[in-house]
Amino acid sequence: MSFALNRKLAAKRPPLETAAAIDAVTAGIIRGAMETCCFEATEYLARAASSAIINQSNERNASVIDANGRLAAQSIGTPHLTFVTQLPVRYCLMNMADFDVGPGDVFVSNDPDYGGGHLPDYCVYGPVYDAAGELICFQTLQAHQGDTGGKDPGGFTLDATDIFTEGLALPCLKLVHRGEKRLDVIRLLERNNRFPSFHGDLAAMIGGVQHAVRLLEAMVGKWGADRVKAAINHNIAETERLFRQEVSKWRDGRYEGTVFIDHDTQGTKDVKVHATCTIAGDTLTVDLTGSDDRPNLIGVWNTFGNSRSYVMTQVAASIDPIIVKNEGLFDAVEIILPENTIVQPPPNKPAALGSFHPACEIIEAVCIALSQVVPERSCFQGYKMGMPNALIGFDAKGQMWMDQGVDVRVEDASAVQGIDGWGGLCTALGNLLLSQAEDAESRFPVVNLSRQMITDKGGAGQWRGQPGTLNVKKTLEPAMAMTWMVSREHPLTGLCGGEDACSYQNWYLVGTPDEFEVKLAAHTQMPAGGVMAYQNGGGSGFGPATRRDPIAVREDVLDELVSLAAARDIYGVVLTGTLDDYDLEVDWTATEALRAEMAAGKTLEEAGR
Amino acid sequence: MSYRVGIDIGGTFTDFALRTSDGVKLYKNLSTPEDRSQGVMTGLAALAEREGLTLADFLGRCDAIVHGTTVADNTLIEMNGAVTGLLTTEGFRDEIALRRGFKESIWDVRLEPPREITPRRRRLGVPERVLCDGSVYQPLDEDAVRAACRKLAKQNVESVAVSFLFSFVNPDHEKRVREIVAEEMPGVPISLSHEVLPRAPEFDRTSTTVVNAYVAPRVTSYLERLVGRLKEAGYTRQLMVMQASGGVMTKEYIDGAPIRVLASGPAGGVIGSAHVGGAKGHANLICVDMGGTSYDMSLVLDGQAPAEAGWNLHHRYVVGIPMVKVETLGAGGGSICNVHNGVLQVGPRSAGAAPGPIAYGRGGTEPTITDALVMLGILSTDAGFAGGSFRLSREGVAEAFQAIGDAMGYGAEEAAFDCWRVVNANMTGGVRRTTAGKGIDPKDLVMLAYGGNGPAFAGIQAEDLGIRKVLVPRTSPTFSALGTLVADPAIDEQRSYIASLATLDVGRLRDLWSALEERAARHFAAANVPAEQLSVRYQLNTRYPGQNWPVTFDIAVGKGLHDLSFVDEGLREKAMALFDARHRAEFGHVREGEIPEVTGVRLVTSAPSDLVPVGSGFTAPRTHPAPAKHRRANLGQGFHETAVFLGQDLKPGDEIVGPAIIDEVFTTIVVYPGWTAIVDDAGDCELNQRD
Repeated sequence: MSFALNRKLAAKRPPLETAAAIDAVTAGIIRGAMETCCFEATEYLARAASSAIINQSNERNASVIDANGRLAAQSIGTPHLTFVTQLPVRYCLMNMADFDVGPGDVFVSNDPDYGGGHLPDYCVYGPVYDAAGELICFQTLQAHQGDTGGKDPGGFTLDATDIFTEGLALPCLKLVHRGEKRLDVIRLLERNNRFPSFHGDLAAMIGGVQHAVRLLEAMVGKWGADRVKAAINHNIAETERLFRQEVSKWRDGRYEGTVFIDHDTQGTKDVKVHATCTIAGDTLTVDLTGSDDRPNLIGVWNTFGNSRSYVMTQVAASIDPIIVKNEGLFDAVEIILPENTIVQPPPNKPAALGSFHPACEIIEAVCIALSQVVPERSCFQGYKMGMPNALIGFDAKGQMWMDQGVDVRVEDASAVQGIDGWGGLCTALGNLLLSQAEDAESRFPVVNLSRQMITDKGGAGQWRGQPGTLNVKKTLEPAMAMTWMVSREHPLTGLCGGEDACSYQNWYLVGTPDEFEVKLAAHTQMPAGGVMAYQNGGGSGFGPATRRDPIAVREDVLDELVSLAAARDIYGVVLTGTLDDYDLEVDWTATEALRAEMAAGKTLEEAGR
Repeated sequence: MSYRVGIDIGGTFTDFALRTSDGVKLYKNLSTPEDRSQGVMTGLAALAEREGLTLADFLGRCDAIVHGTTVADNTLIEMNGAVTGLLTTEGFRDEIALRRGFKESIWDVRLEPPREITPRRRRLGVPERVLCDGSVYQPLDEDAVRAACRKLAKQNVESVAVSFLFSFVNPDHEKRVREIVAEEMPGVPISLSHEVLPRAPEFDRTSTTVVNAYVAPRVTSYLERLVGRLKEAGYTRQLMVMQASGGVMTKEYIDGAPIRVLASGPAGGVIGSAHVGGAKGHANLICVDMGGTSYDMSLVLDGQAPAEAGWNLHHRYVVGIPMVKVETLGAGGGSICNVHNGVLQVGPRSAGAAPGPIAYGRGGTEPTITDALVMLGILSTDAGFAGGSFRLSREGVAEAFQAIGDAMGYGAEEAAFDCWRVVNANMTGGVRRTTAGKGIDPKDLVMLAYGGNGPAFAGIQAEDLGIRKVLVPRTSPTFSALGTLVADPAIDEQRSYIASLATLDVGRLRDLWSALEERAARHFAAANVPAEQLSVRYQLNTRYPGQNWPVTFDIAVGKGLHDLSFVDEGLREKAMALFDARHRAEFGHVREGEIPEVTGVRLVTSAPSDLVPVGSGFTAPRTHPAPAKHRRANLGQGFHETAVFLGQDLKPGDEIVGPAIIDEVFTTIVVYPGWTAIVDDAGDCELNQRD
């Protein structure tokens, strides 16, 4: 539990020892088999779990980590989480004898100071041995838990000053010993969780890991340990080679991105994340030096494992999607995370909220930097809404309920060169399924009154961001509402001349004399009938708005994504006809003239409009 | 003599399966894309002629004509359906575009959005709101509905979808909108979400309803045209139509939600598979169909093709109606092999039928799996490929694979072999993912392989998956038509009702099942099926609170409708025990102290047909035929002179010990090393792995 441990955990690992040779196709086939094991593990979990975050939002992912602690294969899920899973396994590997690791064991880790993401992300994993008893790899299965037994339900505490406030931290805990469940340990975990469904969710995670471990053992039996090891080595080396080949096509230089978070959870303003991406030949270095190091910040500490992972999530989006995602990515990139800053905090800092921010600002800063060299694949792969509005109450039997606010909405579906932002989320989160009104209302005493896009509420651009949604929700019973606001003052940055996304705004107790806008954070008791309304800022734009195809602007106006006024004032497009009659046409002459005036820097007033 | 005809229209061929007193006869003729009913009538006339009858006489003797159509699928592929408008609860017009956040790829930031059926200008919200208990939170604003109709009319909308929140609990608002639309937009068809998919959640229901509205006018007008032609030609009974659920039902029933015919062709194939597998004594099958562009995988369990109502994506739209699940992988004979960034890839890009593989000699230049099979000697370049219409050519094939070999650092034959390995591995992964979704180990299944290329890979596929027996039925090229012939008339519907098992209102369950019974009785009566002949399964969808997908189990199974005596106070306890058993079987555990909740009732009604099984599996005494010839081929263990048999020469009892190749008219069966093929009395091939 120290910076030294982080360095050890992150150190590059050598290939597995094997004398076997392998061809590319066989290595690919073995990788495919490992990915299928990962898929089966997540499928098992999704079918058996009952936490909405796991089975509705699909916040779950699986990976195979080799005996040297390298990411060998992964499957569907959320890259932000998958790319963390090497580190807790490495901690286990460093203590094999102490933890008595053996066949049939299953472990759980969640401790950010021992390689974990944040406390709610439980990483459950089990070792895979060959018939001769040699350790070959681990199967991991990670999922976000609805509670961690800390001060506040859900695991997020706005005023937490240390990790112990947030719940139970598990560096490495054995759940199953040689095939037998350790019920004393499992009962302990269950006792430290507010949700009765945790019992089933944990059982599903253990079952999913055991299932995949059996499949992996059979796979090792079929191909032989040596060939499997050779395949893992080959695949990782190949990814590194291909990645470096891509980077070598990028223009050498230093590219920077700076992003600010509005404030920490207690109001300290303008928390800074700075990224420098340096390209030299086939080497990419991502350096977060310059990021905030104020020791008094509250809630904005991203864990070491997460900072690496979020950097990699954005970098991985910037390369040919066919390149296999494994340890080769980490072997190809130098990631510098300055100690005692918000991207690598000292031990015992609270970690839960850091996975939102600054984690996503790390992504954003890297995205801004890389957009200067690889614009065609630059698109923000995070989420900029602080902590989603959570509603927590108790039913007639005293049982707690929590609507965690994973509602359908547009959250940062940004444009990329040539394609407008679309759907509800960024690409990397495309495996998530956001919550539906009909499911939520059947479960919680709430009514959703709106969740649709609002005209002009997104970043304009040659390719525009998807407009953000206005979500309006009423609680039918008294409930505690909790949130933390960001991107109200510093919304998501537009790329290559595109406009920033709009400001994220949030109002509580709407329609009452006590109505107020949440600007920082809230921990508010809502009466029955209390209404909250939150307007997401939408996705950011790409390229100058005045270069957008005027026909596309006309279509946007017809679809009420862009107003007539914005078409003229922001896009420089003059339309004739009326929206009511659906007969809008581009006035090409007037449009050309207006765009020329805008290009000449004249204001609209000067142009006599 | 009476007849029954199953008809399946594919892109190229229209297939017919005719049941006579002698058994089942198969026939195919070319499809007629401009008016597909024309090809149907031509084929029926040919069948009549073969039976020595006039068309009118023949049709007069038909007990049933059962039809599988791809009109809905083609509409979605070509995106040329009706101009569709959508009315939603105010504040929810964008659910269909937001897709719950879902995207098909998590790594490709350049993934394009799906093409919109209802652009935002044609998605309009109207003030109204029903809550989860069915109470009205906000009354329907009828003036707003009328105003919205006028907006849609101005945009020349041809079909209207309506999806209001919780309409499946209280449909009054949607029903009233139907009346208003009829007044404001006379003649425009309307799809109401509570009729198309009466269940939560709203995205699934809205998407399904929108797709229904989009395909409805084309499906309905096509079926009307066909019914008209059949009537004119002398057919007096109801036309029965294949549904995605694997059951057939009357045209009138389909008219209520034409989306039910979507993907019914592949469903027919699975039903045909289940029938043939069952006839040979195998109730649990993994069916694999490898054609020109794709590799389709489906499961048959306990002799049934399970239909699931879940997150079924079709042409990038979620369709929530019960469907026989067919997973598709872009791996077919036409799948293109290439090297990208040092990685050897096969598919999903396909050369299609035109230009097709290089070996077709129609101008194709990119190497495909068919070309790899030619290169490996698995496919014959003798005359007579695919029924004799043309022969495969080796010209240009070796050069194309040499180009791949150059990129990979070896020769053309090695390149072709690696393409074979890659597509094999892709298919193995695909099958494992299909079985994983059901928690099944593939080694417990029998593989049933069909499609032009399926039997060439089946043996090696099976070996990869631990499967020891593969069936290759002779009738497989027309399985979908056979499926429509043997499918039972069936209605599979559900209604939502979310309540804890501890507190649920059994009266409510009774009412819901009763309403479903009434619908089923009405439609079966129209199909001349008396209620007492019906097989009925009363099912409950149940889950632990918080689980996303319910498990479905029978609460009562019986003969004939209107027996709801089982719906009493004891039902809760019974349901609890059944749920526990099912959850334990699927997930290996139950949750102590947690009370499951019901999410809805389901009623599956069917009229089992009295068909004699087609192609049972009795085997004549073993004989060992001599090969017709030898061919240099690589069956996974390097190139060897390999025995080749001609399918047409084989007779029941013939046993062929691999390695060997059987050249059939429509396919090539590979008997891999370690495997033995036996021809059964039906002329079908069974491949068994030797001990």
